Amino acid sequence: MTSLPAVDIPLLAEVLQRFLAEELRASGLSGYVCGLSGGLDSAVAAALAVRAVGREKLRLLALPGPTSSAESLTHAQEVAKSLGVGLEVLDLGPTSQLLAQTLGCASDRLRFGNLLARLRMVALFDAARAHGLLVLGTANKSEILLGYSTLFGDQAASVHPLGDVWKTHVFALGAYLQIPEVILKKPPTADLWPGQTDAAELGFDYLEADPILYYHHDQGLSEAELGAQGFPSALVSKVLATYRRNRFKWRPTVIARVSTSCINVDRILPRNPKP
Amino acid sequence: MTVLSNWQRERVTVALAQIATCPGQLAHNLEAHFWALEQARKAKAEVVIFPELSLTGYLLGHGVLELAMDLEDPRLKPLREASQEVALLVGLPLRERGGGIANAAVLLHRGQIVGVHRKLYLPTYGMFDEGRYFLPGRSLTPLPWHRAKIGVLVCEDAWHPTSASILVRRGAELLVVVAGGPSEVSGDDVPQGLKRWHWIVGATAITTVTPTFFANRCGWEEGILFSGGSWAVDGRGRTLGGPAPACDPAVIACEVDLAMARRHRTLAPIPHAERWELWQAEVERNRDELTRG
Repeated sequence: MTSLPAVDIPLLAEVLQRFLAEELRASGLSGYVCGLSGGLDSAVAAALAVRAVGREKLRLLALPGPTSSAESLTHAQEVAKSLGVGLEVLDLGPTSQLLAQTLGCASDRLRFGNLLARLRMVALFDAARAHGLLVLGTANKSEILLGYSTLFGDQAASVHPLGDVWKTHVFALGAYLQIPEVILKKPPTADLWPGQTDAAELGFDYLEADPILYYHHDQGLSEAELGAQGFPSALVSKVLATYRRNRFKWRPTVIARVSTSCINVDRILPRNPKP
Repeated sequence: MTVLSNWQRERVTVALAQIATCPGQLAHNLEAHFWALEQARKAKAEVVIFPELSLTGYLLGHGVLELAMDLEDPRLKPLREASQEVALLVGLPLRERGGGIANAAVLLHRGQIVGVHRKLYLPTYGMFDEGRYFLPGRSLTPLPWHRAKIGVLVCEDAWHPTSASILVRRGAELLVVVAGGPSEVSGDDVPQGLKRWHWIVGATAITTVTPTFFANRCGWEEGILFSGGSWAVDGRGRTLGGPAPACDPAVIACEVDLAMARRHRTLAPIPHAERWELWQAEVERNRDELTRG
């Protein structure tokens, strides 16, 4: 009982593309904009969007910063080419450096990484506003649960098609959607500084963490019960500590309720009402 | 032929309208109703069954406060008019005279309201929060359509087998399950929620020996997947129509023979054999426990 339950990948792809089609229809907007990082998550999200709404309704942006690897841009170009969608490159280097200087965070790689992630969000939402688009999120369930994202940065999007999909299954979706091999095989990275990998930062990789998260978050097994099932206890502790530490990112903000009509508390309403 | 010589067929064509609705987009939802109605007319259906809260969408949250309607609401006019030719069972949040809102299935025919069933069991667990927005129904009676008495179960009602048993005891000749059944993806190519529904619908039909019609919605609402698969099965477990696909809107026309349905209940009189005194004993035991504290 130490592996993740299987998911039918063709059905998963089909329902997710229908989700993207319906969200676009319900919004009344004209398409999606997606930031291509050169990694797997954005490649899979973009491939689903192409299948859902057609390549003519998808705008792809590459948003490299001064610390991004050259390989990331090459990979983003490869994904765009494989999808038959043009790739617009907006170099965030000068802007990010200027802002980092103003804020005094140029030498702090974590702050600078967050700044870059948030500048990407600014670029994506600006494109959305300019062209009447929804911002296509790329976060997967594993990184959301672990809080491995920048608040109001890469986590900010209009929709998250992969937000309930384990990273383990994102790999399978990528293979099914024929994402270029080089992207399927490269280690996951936020690419916020040279040589960064998710596994090195987290202290474990997603394939190890996903079954632990599944049996705890979905099935309700305690830390002790996970140990009894054969998961290494040091790994369980590390994964669950991260899971607990970053939980505030699941709900990025809280409104102070001082009335009987507090938004999303006393009044939970459909997102896209129309008469 | 001797066995069936006295058998007068009483055929009724029922259409299951599997549509994708959007919460709070009434015009869009109404358009889906008329699309299904057109298909149902072509199939010469006499009654068209729409899913739970078909007119407004399911995940309304507090949106029910804006969208709830009474039976005289002008927004029902196009459906009343359409019901001149064919009976329609539609789902809507029903504003009650004394306050409160019910999750209702309303049967319209010849421009009139023929009957209303208010959902009895409001799921309030996991992703469900219906108890927060709706009042539960208080009675369970078949709706008196001129062709047959229709026992209506709204979604979770069908997860309590007592509901179908009571409806059949009260004379229901057809059982109709209208659902907004959410689903998840598991290890095979049928959504997990749909598999659960087919077990329930099949078991309901077989244990009550009554034709059972399942109209589910499909598509997405507010990030929640619904898994279609509308299906009809007779009292002996034979498919009458469908199942519809999981993901696409569809209209499934199903012909049922009411005389055959009665024969089934004669040959397999399972509902007639229900031991109601056991139920009564359990109710009394429960009452005693409550009294004793």
